[in-house]
Amino acid sequence: MPELDDTGSRLTFKLVYYGPALSGKTTNLLRLHDLLAPELKGEMMTLETADDRTLFFDLLPLGFRAKSGLLIRCRLFTVPGQVKHDGTRKAMLSRADGVVFVADSRQTQEVNNGESFQNLADNAARVGIDFDRLPLVVEFNKRDLPNIVSEAEIRARWSAAPWPLTFASALTGPGVVETFRELIAAVYRRFAGEFRLREEHGLSEADFVAGIMGSAA
Amino acid sequence: MSAAFDREWVLGELLPAKEQEKAGAALATLLGGDFAILDPAGAVLWGRLAEGAEREPLVLELEPIGYVAARVPAASLRSAAALIRQILSARSRYILAADFHNEAVNADYEALKASETRYKALSQALEQRVREQVAQIEAQQRQLYVTDKFAAVGQLAAGVAHEINNPVGFIRSNLNTLRGYLQQFAELKSDLTTAGENWQRLDLDFALEDGLAVVDECVAGADRISRIVKDLKGFSNVDHPAEEVLDISECVQRAVSLVTPRLPPGVRLRVELSPLPPRSCQPWQLAEAFHNILQNAVQAVSDGGEIRIRSLTVDNQLVIRIDDDGAGIPPDQLERVFDPFYSTRDVGKGTGLGLTVTRDIVQAHGGTVAIASQPGRGTCVTVALPL
Repeated sequence: MPELDDTGSRLTFKLVYYGPALSGKTTNLLRLHDLLAPELKGEMMTLETADDRTLFFDLLPLGFRAKSGLLIRCRLFTVPGQVKHDGTRKAMLSRADGVVFVADSRQTQEVNNGESFQNLADNAARVGIDFDRLPLVVEFNKRDLPNIVSEAEIRARWSAAPWPLTFASALTGPGVVETFRELIAAVYRRFAGEFRLREEHGLSEADFVAGIMGSAA
Repeated sequence: MSAAFDREWVLGELLPAKEQEKAGAALATLLGGDFAILDPAGAVLWGRLAEGAEREPLVLELEPIGYVAARVPAASLRSAAALIRQILSARSRYILAADFHNEAVNADYEALKASETRYKALSQALEQRVREQVAQIEAQQRQLYVTDKFAAVGQLAAGVAHEINNPVGFIRSNLNTLRGYLQQFAELKSDLTTAGENWQRLDLDFALEDGLAVVDECVAGADRISRIVKDLKGFSNVDHPAEEVLDISECVQRAVSLVTPRLPPGVRLRVELSPLPPRSCQPWQLAEAFHNILQNAVQAVSDGGEIRIRSLTVDNQLVIRIDDDGAGIPPDQLERVFDPFYSTRDVGKGTGLGLTVTRDIVQAHGGTVAIASQPGRGTCVTVALPL
């Protein structure tokens, strides 16, 4: 549930990058930090171990002010992918308003992707998130690597799923912004009515997306 | 649970009063004048707000969470703000990680508790099943014990009956013949006059009279042997159907006749059985039940004493009471007397099943067994069976 502060002047969305270990969640955030240019962009805060794998999470704050004066703020988090951190993933997922599932495109990772996605669905249920209504984008990352599952095959396999599919190479950049745009748009569609973004704050979906992404939109 | 890790930053939390004092005082010295730390609304949290002071925002994520203010060159104030911001950033990372860790551990703990609850339920179910199985095994053991015992007694009785019946048969037959011979012998007296003197001399009158009495006694003895064998057969259920309608006193009598021959000296048995309305029962089983009680009583009065056995009807119930004035049972043992395999006797002397089996049998007949005892004064066992 997005959080509206006491004075009603700031609306905060919590967006979570979920996925199997080493699928590139942190790299997605790093690229977004480089590529996005909203009115307000904070420093990226990372809490990682010595071997550069995410121990707790990363946090990237983005935001812009609507003409009404409402500050729209997004806090992007990543979860650690390692299996042993399930309690951590659960804690991170609680109160999430949107999720990007970052899958690893390599053929060897299909089982890990499947397990992690099931884990996402399970944990969403456990922390009280209505998974069917949760804004969710599935990103297949590492398209720049050899031995990856082809786009056609992935699309065929996910054809029955309702979520947008994107393809990215977070290390070099392509696709990362598109994934985020899909997510922001889905978040707008899910919550715009509830918070009267269009009626009271004059924000269309395009305004909303452009505000958070800045010139990259 | 502590506050959510992803809550809003508040300057007072990231930089508590004590820390404000330390950092503020240091910066005031460095800046050489009044220095103040302000909340987002501009209120002073620490220090003194100099007149005409400039403000520099403290931004952690997107918006200021507070300000620093001093009347110094802009570059100096910016440096002071940067320094405070560094402190805030370090503190925020620490707090974020700690709170997040806490929340994660809580999530893990909840999962652990859930699984612990599952395992507890599982282990309770398991314990319950073990208890049931143990009870079943015990019941089967008791059943086996009873069956075995009766099988053994039955076999013994059948053997004894066979072995005794034969000799008793010819004893009795021979005695009858002998009686015939003696009568013929008596006829001698009238035919042989000379022999009459010899008859008198030999006191054959007495021999004849006594001989007949002795033979009668032998016949009575043989009859008694037959009766004992019959009793034994009755007890062992040889030749008897399982279920019979009869006077329960008869079962008591069977048990009594089995105990009587082996009474230690000085032990008196007062049997006061009255006719009871007949009811359906398993006579040999009930006899075993009474026999077990009687055996205990005999053991309790082995140094001399009295056992009183009564049968009566009370409130539509058949009541058999067996009292003894023997050693009695201490209270701590009394509460365990029905437990299977509980025995105070030496190993090999008692199975610890006597009263257990007794209760099983009586309960199978819809009745109850009650034991009252006073150590040193005696024990009273009451068996009550519904009519």
